[in-house]
Amino acid sequence: MALLTLQGISKCYQQGELQVNALNDINLQVEEGEFAALVGPSGSGKTTLLNIIGGLDTPTHGRTLLNNTDITGLKEAELSNFRLFQLGFIFQAYNLVPVLSALENVELVMVLQGRSAEEKRERAEHYLQLVGLQDVMQRRPSALSGGQQQRVAVARALAAGPRLVLADEPTANLDSENATALLDIMHRLSHEEKTTFIFSTHDPRVMERAERIITLHDGKIVSDECHQRHDEPTV
Amino acid sequence: MSKPHSHLPLTILFMLAWRNLWRHRRRTLITLTSIAIGFGLAVLFIGIGDGSHNSMIRNAIKLGEGHITVQPKDYLQAPANHKYLSDGLSLSAKLNELNVTGSVAARISLQVLASTASNSVGAALEGFRSNSDQRQAMLQPQLIEGNWIEAGDHRGIVIGDGMARKLKAKIGSKVVLMAGKQGGDSQAQLGRVRGIFDSHVDELDDYLILSDLQFAQYFLAGEGAIIEQAPVTRFAVFLDDPDTMAYWKAQIKSVIENDLVVALDWQEMMPQLVQFIIIDDVGNYVFLILILIMVVFGIVNTVLMSVLERTREFGLLRALGLGRQHLLLLVFCETLLLSVLAVIIGWVVGGGTHWWFSQHGIDFSALMPEGTAMMGTFMDPVVYTELSWDRVTQLTIIIFVTTLLSGIYPAIKAARVTPVEALRT
Ligand SMILES: Nc1ncnc2c1ncn2[C@@H]1O[C@H](COP(=O)(O)OP(=O)(O)O)[C@@H](O)[C@H]1O
Ligand SMILES: [Mg+2]
Repeated sequence: MALLTLQGISKCYQQGELQVNALNDINLQVEEGEFAALVGPSGSGKTTLLNIIGGLDTPTHGRTLLNNTDITGLKEAELSNFRLFQLGFIFQAYNLVPVLSALENVELVMVLQGRSAEEKRERAEHYLQLVGLQDVMQRRPSALSGGQQQRVAVARALAAGPRLVLADEPTANLDSENATALLDIMHRLSHEEKTTFIFSTHDPRVMERAERIITLHDGKIVSDECHQRHDEPTV
Repeated sequence: MSKPHSHLPLTILFMLAWRNLWRHRRRTLITLTSIAIGFGLAVLFIGIGDGSHNSMIRNAIKLGEGHITVQPKDYLQAPANHKYLSDGLSLSAKLNELNVTGSVAARISLQVLASTASNSVGAALEGFRSNSDQRQAMLQPQLIEGNWIEAGDHRGIVIGDGMARKLKAKIGSKVVLMAGKQGGDSQAQLGRVRGIFDSHVDELDDYLILSDLQFAQYFLAGEGAIIEQAPVTRFAVFLDDPDTMAYWKAQIKSVIENDLVVALDWQEMMPQLVQFIIIDDVGNYVFLILILIMVVFGIVNTVLMSVLERTREFGLLRALGLGRQHLLLLVFCETLLLSVLAVIIGWVVGGGTHWWFSQHGIDFSALMPEGTAMMGTFMDPVVYTELSWDRVTQLTIIIFVTTLLSGIYPAIKAARVTPVEALRT
């Protein structure tokens, strides 16, 4: 059984008289451990799809099965807990709580999970080290560069031990050097931690680092192909 | 983890709330300052109100019939010359046995007609031990002419300047005091003016005739009283500590009250004064409500603004797995901390203001050139603010509850944030 199965997902938005079909009959399976890119031009439905997979939004039609759970049938509080224990999120920007240090940001999700103080401290430090931020752990987000902030978000997502990490244009606010560096970190950790990643992008240099590229256009999947990565130029 | 759920320990909640509070240091400080100033003003106004009312009450008690009055049962409803305590001697003995911490004054009140060659006016004759009564302490310093009644002076009277004008009486003038008897006859006694006072309380200056107890007792004798039993109209009990009134009232009631005699406290004796103070307090409460409205706006504005500008952050937290209830709690905690700080700072400012004015007083004489008399009593022109512990708890609870209530709306607003919409911005 695949980790993620989307069955006939559609999403319509009513905009006054106009009906916008943001997603149109999406069928998709993602296996455990995949490192998949969701690509397509702006407005093609990437964010909408990621939000539905993450249980942040509900589809108009169709079902989302994640780790054998039909999340379209969950109540709001159940979804909230589902996200906490099963999912990691990385957004385009403002990923971090400004009043918390990098370390505290990574710990926060584990606090909510109810992990012990030692465990969460140990894991937070471990993952911040893996993303190369051991020297700036005590800094608040405002004292970190954009690339560093995104790496904190990656550490936070992984430290919580999720089944699936969803990243909506995680590199959109980064220069290409930082963007490829972030992707390489994500890719490496995905393999080391055996964690499934789905990230969206419209940057060709970023998408070529994916192992699978799912292309959306006008809310439909227009291509879905496995991709041979040219390994591993920078770390 | 069979049924995993999210934990948000209070320590983390308060840590987040505290840090969020200081994200906009200046905004928070301005809010706190305005609340503190408002609160300080409220404490000051209430302190002035309580201070002036208590001053009026103290003076009313001194000029009047004490903290507790022992008198014939139906005297208050319908005062009359023939209503008196015929066996003053034994009542006085019973009161003395109680060892009240304070003083007990025997007094006689009579309605009389005062006449000189030029005029006749209705008057209240007040007989008391002229050398040991509270009235002496109050009114002797107000003498503008002549002297106080000396001990053993059976004919001497002291009158107010208003009465003296009406009677065209001077020091040494003879005044005939006439009183109706119960049967319908009348009796008269001759008094001689020894002194004239000016208390600035018209009710006293125009109406009061003071004499020694013995002089007034002649009238009671005319009503059939036996002088040897020391008949009086009442005993006025002055307490050293007004807070012990309820205790002493109960004690006195238990020994003297019967079908003919009652013990009343000053509130029962002067219901109009109590009414006046209640009405006057309404003004202070209106002011307090205005302050509270200001506080509510300050807090709602500060917290709501911070909620609205953090929409994205709330969306993020919701995406990470915080429940609505967590955001509700978080914002409510921020209000709670703001309100605790406001109460503390408010008390420092309000308490400080109060303390200063309780020591130095506020001089109202310039504001009240016609004098400070009202309701048959007067307010000391320099008011020292007063603040009782009851007021402190009352104000603290009011301000605390108000601030917490103002946190409800912003908290709900934060809990309503949906991640999708928040993150799209
Ligand atoms: N809340 C909404 N109301 C109306 N239309 C929306 C809303 N959210 C998204 N859309 C529309 O859905 C389509 C897909 O949007 P989106 O998923 O954000 O695309 P992408 O992330 O690929 O840029 C767009 O046409 C967008 O205008
Ligand atoms: Mg998008």
